[in-house]
Amino acid sequence: MDFILDYYFDFGVMGDEFDPILTGFWLTLKLSIVGGITSLTWGLILAVLRQLPGRALAPFRWLAIAYIDVFRGIPFLLILFLVSGSLAAFQSEGVIPRELGIPTWFGEGSPFWYGVISLTITYGAYMAEVYRAGIEAVPGGQTEAARSLGMSHGQAMRYVIVPQAVRKVIPPLLNDFIALMKDTSIVSVLGVIEVVQAGRDVASERFNGSGLVLGAILFLIVTIPLARLVDYLIAREQRRTQRGGKPAPAPAATGMADPGTGGNA
Amino acid sequence: MNDAGTDGRGMLRLEDVHKRFGGLEVLRGVDLSVDRASVTCVLGPSGSGKSTLLRCINMLEPPDEGRIVIEGRTITEARGDDLDYVRQRIGIVFQNFNLFPHKSALGNVSIAQQKVLGRSREEARERAEQLLRRVGLGDKLGEYPERLSGGQQQRVAIARALAMDPHVMLFDEVTSALDPELVKEVLDVMRELAREGMTMIVVTHEIGFAREVADDVVFMDQGVVIEEGPPSKVLESPQEERTKQFLGLVLEH
Repeated sequence: MDFILDYYFDFGVMGDEFDPILTGFWLTLKLSIVGGITSLTWGLILAVLRQLPGRALAPFRWLAIAYIDVFRGIPFLLILFLVSGSLAAFQSEGVIPRELGIPTWFGEGSPFWYGVISLTITYGAYMAEVYRAGIEAVPGGQTEAARSLGMSHGQAMRYVIVPQAVRKVIPPLLNDFIALMKDTSIVSVLGVIEVVQAGRDVASERFNGSGLVLGAILFLIVTIPLARLVDYLIAREQRRTQRGGKPAPAPAATGMADPGTGGNA
Repeated sequence: MNDAGTDGRGMLRLEDVHKRFGGLEVLRGVDLSVDRASVTCVLGPSGSGKSTLLRCINMLEPPDEGRIVIEGRTITEARGDDLDYVRQRIGIVFQNFNLFPHKSALGNVSIAQQKVLGRSREEARERAEQLLRRVGLGDKLGEYPERLSGGQQQRVAIARALAMDPHVMLFDEVTSALDPELVKEVLDVMRELAREGMTMIVVTHEIGFAREVADDVVFMDQGVVIEEGPPSKVLESPQEERTKQFLGLVLEH
C-alpha cells in the first residue's frame, strides 16, 4: 500500500522534479493558447464561409463543408504526422521556402509550430461547427432587420449576427478549448517536451509516477476552473432566457460530444 | 399611368405582383399605387397576404412576377448594391420588433447609419438621440432591449428605421404583439409621423387607426385586393361581400 502511495504521491520526487515539470507545463500552456487562438479564428472563418449566400458563392460553401467533414473525421495524431512530415519534405524539395517548411518563429522550434498548425486544422473544424450552431440560433428576424436597413450580407453578419452568435457559443467553445489543451500532449511525439513528456522522463529515470501526477494536478488547476466557468455561463444564459424575451434555442451547449476523445490516439 | 416621382402621385407602384411559396400562391396579382405623403392601411384576414405584400415591397421576399416601382426606379430588377440602396429608402417595422439585443437603444438606432450611410459616430449618435427623443424615449438611450417594454422596443424600432431617412415606411402589424395598454403609445408615434407627411403603408388590425389616419384603405383577401378607397367608403359602406363580412367580424367584439 505504501508502495502505491509512494509511486503516485512521492512529494520528494515532486519537489526535486518541480522545475522540469513546470517548464513542460509552460510549453503546454503556450501550445494551448497559441493553438486555441488560431483555431478560434480559423473556425470562425470556416463558419462564415459556410454561410455565404447565393449561387455564385456556392463553391466556397461546399469547400468549407467538405473541409469540416474531412478534418473532423481524422485523428489528430495522423494530422500531426502528415503536417510535420509533409512540410519538412516540401521544403527539402524546394516547393516551399525553408522558413515555412521548418518554422522557428518567436523562438519556438518547428515541432511546436507543427503542433499549432495541426491543432488549428483539427480544432478549427470542430469550432466551425460550434459557431455554426450559434449562427443558426440567431433568429431569422435579425438578418431581416439588418438587411432592411440596407446592410449587405457581410455587414449583417459582422455587426449583427456573429456578435450574437459568439456570445451564445462561448460555453461550448470553452469545452473545445479544454479538449484542445489536453490534446497538446500528443505533440510530444514530435519531440516537444511538454508536461506529459516531462512526466514520462521523470518516471523512467526514477521509476516513479509522481512527476506525471504533478503534471495532472497542473492540468486540473487550469481545467477545473474553466469547467466551472462553462457551467456558470450556461446557467447565466438560462436565467436570462427564462426571465423574459424570446427563449432562443440553446445551441449544442452541454450535449456537445467531447472532441477530446482523440486524446487516446 | 402618370409620371412617377414628379408630383408624388404613384411614388410607389405595384403592378401585377405574384408571390409563391412552394405550391402556395400567396399573392395572386396585386396592383397598388401609393401617393407621396399618404397613409395606406392594408386590412384583411390572416393569411390574406398582407405581410407578404410588405416584405415584397422591400424585397425581403422578391416577387416571382410583376413590377414594383419606387420614385421611378424598378426595384424588382435591382441587384446587389443597388438593392441595398433601395432598402435604405424603404423603412420597415416588424411585428416582433427585431431589435438587436446586443446593442443599446442608441446603438440600435445608430449602427446602420454608421455602417451603411457612412455617418461619423458623433453624427449618428446625435441623430439617434434626436429620433429617440422624438418617439418619447429620451430617457432610455443607454437601455438594452431586454430591459424595455414591448411598446418601448417598438418605438426604438421605428426610430431605427427613421434613422435611414426612408422615403417610405412600412409597418407590419406593429401593435399585434403588444399588450393592449401599450398599443396607444406606438400608434401615437405613427399618427405623428403621418401628420409630418411620411409616406406610410400600414398593415394593421386597428380599424380605429385606419379610420382616423388612413388616406386609403386596401382590403385584401386570398392574395388579391378586394376593395380599395378612402376609409369613409371602404370602412363605412363597403361594396364587396367579403369586406362586409370581415368588418362585421372585426367590429363585433
